[in-house]
Amino acid sequence: MVTLTIDDKQVAVEKDTTIYDAAKKAGVVIPILCHDKKLKPFGACRMCLVEVEQMKGRLIPACTTPVTEGMIVRTSTPPVNKARKLVLELLLVHHPLDCPVCDKGGDCELQNLAYDYKINTNRLTDEKFHHEIDYNNPLIERDQNRCILCGKCVRICDEIVSRGALTFINRGIKTKIGTEFDGPLSCEFCGSCVSVCPVGALLPRPFKFKSRIWALTKKTSVCGYCGTGCNVTLGVKDNKVLTTVYDENQGFHNGQLCVRGRFGYQFINSEKRLKTPLIRKNDQLVEATWDEALSLVAQRLKGAGSAAAALATPRMTNEELFLLKQLMTVQVGSQNIDHSAGYGHSAVSEGLAKSLGVAASSATILDIQKSDLILAIKTDVYETHPVVGFEINMAVKNKGVALQIISDKKGKLSRLPGANLLLNKPTTEVVLLNAVAKVMIDENLTITSATPELASALNEFTPEKAALVTGVTADEIKSLARAYAAADKAVILFTAGLSYPGADAQLAHAAANLAILGGKLGKEGSGILALQEKNNSQGAIDVGFVPGQGGLDALRILEGSATGTIKTLLIAGENPVVSYPAKAKIQKALDSVEFLVVADLFLTETAQLADVVLPVCSYAEKVGTFTATDRRVQRINPAIPPVGQSRSEFKVYSELISMLGGQPVATPAEAFAQIPAYSDIKYNELAEGGTFSSITLQPVQIVPKANMVVSDSGNYVLLTGAALYHCGTMSLYGEGTLAVSSEAYVEVSRADAVKLKINDGDQVKLTSTDGVIELKARVSPRMVDGVFFAPYHFADASINTIWSGSTVTSVTVAK
Amino acid sequence: MPNPITPIMQGMKITFGHLFKKPVTLMYPEERPKVSERYRGLHALKVSHDKAKCVACYLCPTVCPAKCITVEAGEDENHNKFAAKYEIDMLRCIFCGYCVEACPVDALKMTGQFELANYRREDFVFSKERLLEKK
Repeated sequence: MVTLTIDDKQVAVEKDTTIYDAAKKAGVVIPILCHDKKLKPFGACRMCLVEVEQMKGRLIPACTTPVTEGMIVRTSTPPVNKARKLVLELLLVHHPLDCPVCDKGGDCELQNLAYDYKINTNRLTDEKFHHEIDYNNPLIERDQNRCILCGKCVRICDEIVSRGALTFINRGIKTKIGTEFDGPLSCEFCGSCVSVCPVGALLPRPFKFKSRIWALTKKTSVCGYCGTGCNVTLGVKDNKVLTTVYDENQGFHNGQLCVRGRFGYQFINSEKRLKTPLIRKNDQLVEATWDEALSLVAQRLKGAGSAAAALATPRMTNEELFLLKQLMTVQVGSQNIDHSAGYGHSAVSEGLAKSLGVAASSATILDIQKSDLILAIKTDVYETHPVVGFEINMAVKNKGVALQIISDKKGKLSRLPGANLLLNKPTTEVVLLNAVAKVMIDENLTITSATPELASALNEFTPEKAALVTGVTADEIKSLARAYAAADKAVILFTAGLSYPGADAQLAHAAANLAILGGKLGKEGSGILALQEKNNSQGAIDVGFVPGQGGLDALRILEGSATGTIKTLLIAGENPVVSYPAKAKIQKALDSVEFLVVADLFLTETAQLADVVLPVCSYAEKVGTFTATDRRVQRINPAIPPVGQSRSEFKVYSELISMLGGQPVATPAEAFAQIPAYSDIKYNELAEGGTFSSITLQPVQIVPKANMVVSDSGNYVLLTGAALYHCGTMSLYGEGTLAVSSEAYVEVSRADAVKLKINDGDQVKLTSTDGVIELKARVSPRMVDGVFFAPYHFADASINTIWSGSTVTSVTVAK
Repeated sequence: MPNPITPIMQGMKITFGHLFKKPVTLMYPEERPKVSERYRGLHALKVSHDKAKCVACYLCPTVCPAKCITVEAGEDENHNKFAAKYEIDMLRCIFCGYCVEACPVDALKMTGQFELANYRREDFVFSKERLLEKK
């Protein structure tokens, strides 16, 4: 510890702390324009100049100067203030005085400082800049005339997002923040640059001129897209969510968000939201009252027993899932409940449940930065869980964590410094992991020795044979095994969910075996982290929203609906017509089921087939808890009252339970108290940032099944999955996400594009055994030859017309 | 003790004195008052180059103590900010003039118009069209 005096206050701080951070700790505010908590010190703006007794004669920038023992710092002496005034005057020579029309007004650091330092006039004059303003980007508006060259956008894009879309170009007075070749902004539109811009040079376009920042009420909540569990602050005015507000102190991610979280909020107040319940009369969905709709549903559910079934979305809160489960299992008497197409949760609910003894990840997102090695399997985290991607980037760049990747695509993760990519043929991940385990056993690298069953089962997975199957060389497999075993702490990551069909229980077993054999479980910075798709995927598993004793899983429920064994189907928030595999089958099942109830925010493709549609609330309108993928249980708070007549699902299922003669719990807090997985968490004590639910690991070595078959049908291979700009089908109702990714596409490798004479934007025809589809081609450097990738979110040209749920689909391609 | 009649006499003197002055009373509505330049009557949005000068900075609704001003900004074809909606609810307005004082672009003024009586509540909400300065 180092002790120093700042403005006559004694403060003791860690070695390597800067004067700026020490002052913050002492409660002394030093004005600054170029600093953000997450970024490295830069020293661009010179506003933080202070006087240091030991360094008399010059002014010292507080943000880049480390503290020394006995330092005496003064932060606002007349010379310091004079220097700061000059800095502001120099900035205001070129900064336009258009505060009345600048959306940053009221939230602008330059404006605040000019006010604080009473810069009423300027001793200096010069012509203002006349840079062209970039209005073309749908999400980020760049006005270089307002830029003060603090470099925060450049640094956040490089240090955290690792995209490098912005940089300083030109020199001297002509310096500006530019893009590649000074063209339009081409990036992933996460908006990190916008969030840190101290002035109005970078502004969120969807919020343009919508409101003044001071007129917004800020409501904190938890993002309703992916399973990362980021905290968000919603800016609300007149009961409408108008924007997301950046707060550098929010959550484990320090306010960092991805494009979906930051710009995809418009679905909450979308025009397309359902306002009233709908009932089908004469083959038309007509508006109805809640009483009519609910009594109709209750009538159908009454005594239905196992002829009723429910599919729920893991976007619902834990309490709502708990109530729906109670409704179905107790009041209706059916064990047919499931979510995420049944297979989407199997990696955790079956794989990790058996291998680790608990249906949850053992590691948390916080372990990523504390680890020595990250092994990312079958995932481009940057696409599926961008904020976790940022964590990995910071771990790799700042903490020197080694990064090993097993993937069938050359994603952005593999471009991080020092990343080692093992590019495998699709579906061969389990073989590869088994071979790695085999090497660990053979070379005596294990900490826990393998059970005889596992050892003998792995016998056939020699690296040489695995190399033939996976396309990864034996040496690469061996060096991965050695690197993993040698690391003191290691985290294994893989994605799990509806959109990742290959991430199943076998993959989880294989990954868990590595962690067990390598002794990388149950300690900080180590373990298994399954990155689940939806905001409450883990919660749905914790609540137990899976088929009960003798119950049918999601796909069997739909089969049953087609054959007539399921007569009443309640679909809460899922959109199987678009997101489940084998569209024709789903459509047939939903057409033929006797009575279909859909509870959703929108009249989705599935809701259009329903007999009763119940309008329900989005996450911004209700109370409850979400469990993030790393077991972090967080409370959500309503930001706005329910839209139209929509009701929270908690209320809907409570009412149905009482209509069927049951006694529902009165509040979400009471429901939460009844969830066994959270018995040690108190609902009312959940603060912002939440609490991790506790787990007890009971690791078991389970033999993962994998085929040692060299597969080569000669056809092209089609992979499906999630795109960066979307999550499930809900993001299609967010204008921000839609603006940058509005239609279905298929990614093609460069070599295949040349071979098939496909240009970017061409329509290509993909034919599988299930059907034909035409998609727009996107030539992408991340694709491997022979492999095509199409995201599954889009209803038009939906990929599930040719995808029947298998990990890969063999397709022929024609132009 | 002063004479109790004296104060009464002094008062009467003032009263009689006024008998010979020009009367203040106006025969309204036949006679119209001439209001001061600084009078704070109905608002008007100033016009320049055939457009309202207002840039929809939201400072007037922010400063308004009666919360009677509603502004909604829009983006025109040149990406400039303008008031797509500008409404003042005269039933709530207290004519303090803070809005005029707050305006950074001198787009708002208060006119001498004081006859604001109307028959329907809706008519007291002055839209942008009604507020635009008449030339």
